[in-house]
This record gives sequence, C-alpha cells and structure tokens, in this order.
Amino acid sequence: MQKVKVLFFATLRDYVGAKYVELEIPIGTTIHDLMDLLASTYPRLEKVKDSMMAAVDREYAADEEVIPEGAEIAFFPPVSGG
Amino acid sequence: MDFPTIISLTESELDLDSLLAQITLPTTGASAIFTGIVREQTSQGDAHDTVYLDYEAYQPMAETKMRQVADEIRQKWPTIEGIAIVQRVGRLYPGTPTTLIACTCAHRNTGVFEAARYGIDRLKEIVPVWKKEIGPQGEEWVEGQYHPKPGE
Repeated sequence: MQKVKVLFFATLRDYVGAKYVELEIPIGTTIHDLMDLLASTYPRLEKVKDSMMAAVDREYAADEEVIPEGAEIAFFPPVSGG
Repeated sequence: MDFPTIISLTESELDLDSLLAQITLPTTGASAIFTGIVREQTSQGDAHDTVYLDYEAYQPMAETKMRQVADEIRQKWPTIEGIAIVQRVGRLYPGTPTTLIACTCAHRNTGVFEAARYGIDRLKEIVPVWKKEIGPQGEEWVEGQYHPKPGE
C-alpha cells in the first residue's frame, strides 16, 4: 500500500465536502482506479467522472497513468479562469 | 539580454501602470494588454446578471501553467520582449479587471497583438482556476470546455 494526498477543486470539492483527503491505495493503482474508488465513497462524483480532469504532481495526467508513491493527486472540472 | 517575465496569482488589485513599467525595456516600442473584466450583464446565450464572482485556484499548478503559457508565447513569437500574466483570485465584483496578459515588443507589427491573444486563450485552457458565479437567482460554478492532454 502507499499513501497519497488527493485534492479537489470547484464543483468536485463541493461534491466531496473536503479540500483534500489522504488515502492508502495499492501500489499500481491508476488514476482511473482511484476515480472509481472515490466515486464509490462519494456517489456524487459518479456523474462527473468522465468529464473531470486529473493532475499528478501538478501535471495533467492520463486515466491509465499509474500513481507514483507519495504523489499529490488533484481532481477538478475543466478550468474556467480568466 | 534577459527579457522580464512576470507571473502572478494574487488577491490584490491589478496595477496596470506598474506591470507595464516592469516589462518595458529601452528597446520597447509597443505593448498589447488584454484584461478580462467581471461582466455585470450577460446578453449572449443564457442572458443573466452577475452580482459577483468567486475565483479559486490550484495555486502551485496554476503558477506552473502560467509560466508555461509565457514559455509558449516566447517560442511562437521570439520578438516578444516582456510578458506579464496575472490572475486575480478571491471575490471580484462587476467592472473589476480579473486577469491581465501584457506583451511588449520593439514594434507593433511583429506579433505583439497575436501573442497577447494567444496568452489569454491558453490561460483559459490550461491554468487551473475556476470561478463561481453568484447572481440574483443563486450560485453556480462555471466550467470550461477544454480538456488538456496528459502533460500539456
């Protein structure tokens, strides 16, 4: 197992009800696996699962990316700054 | 020569004069400045009024991505001298500048307008900042459409 910190922003933070959570996940867990895991804990994430963005250590990540040990993960909706 | 690049994610008011001065060199003869402003009345599409916007950012990633936007500008338009990219966060009311992209150049006809335009378009694609719109009828997070590729 490994520890990861998962941050949420905007709508996703509202859905989860926290700015971040700290989790223990199996080695080899992908972003996609983590999304599924989070959606099972926070059901409101289910409907935005396909549209949300993921970042690993502050870089946009693919669904199939394996999460490195000690990584900082972030999930958020498509950005709307400016 | 070292060209100045200013990247700022801030709760403070934008000071256009100061920012412009910081990216003006002895060789500078032109600048293009874009600012976004909180719009009170939206008539295009879903017409509505805005009372204020609440901006939030994933700060360290936002700063990295703003720097990336500046790097991309320099690669596309090597004639650009100074670049300032500023995004305000926090609560912003109608009429307030929210973001600024300013580029300076020796002359006006070597890409300075295009560079500033590219800067704001790119900021809206890849910089992790979100705004919640508060109107007379309630509040709603605004969501963009662009999905950056891995590593973009």
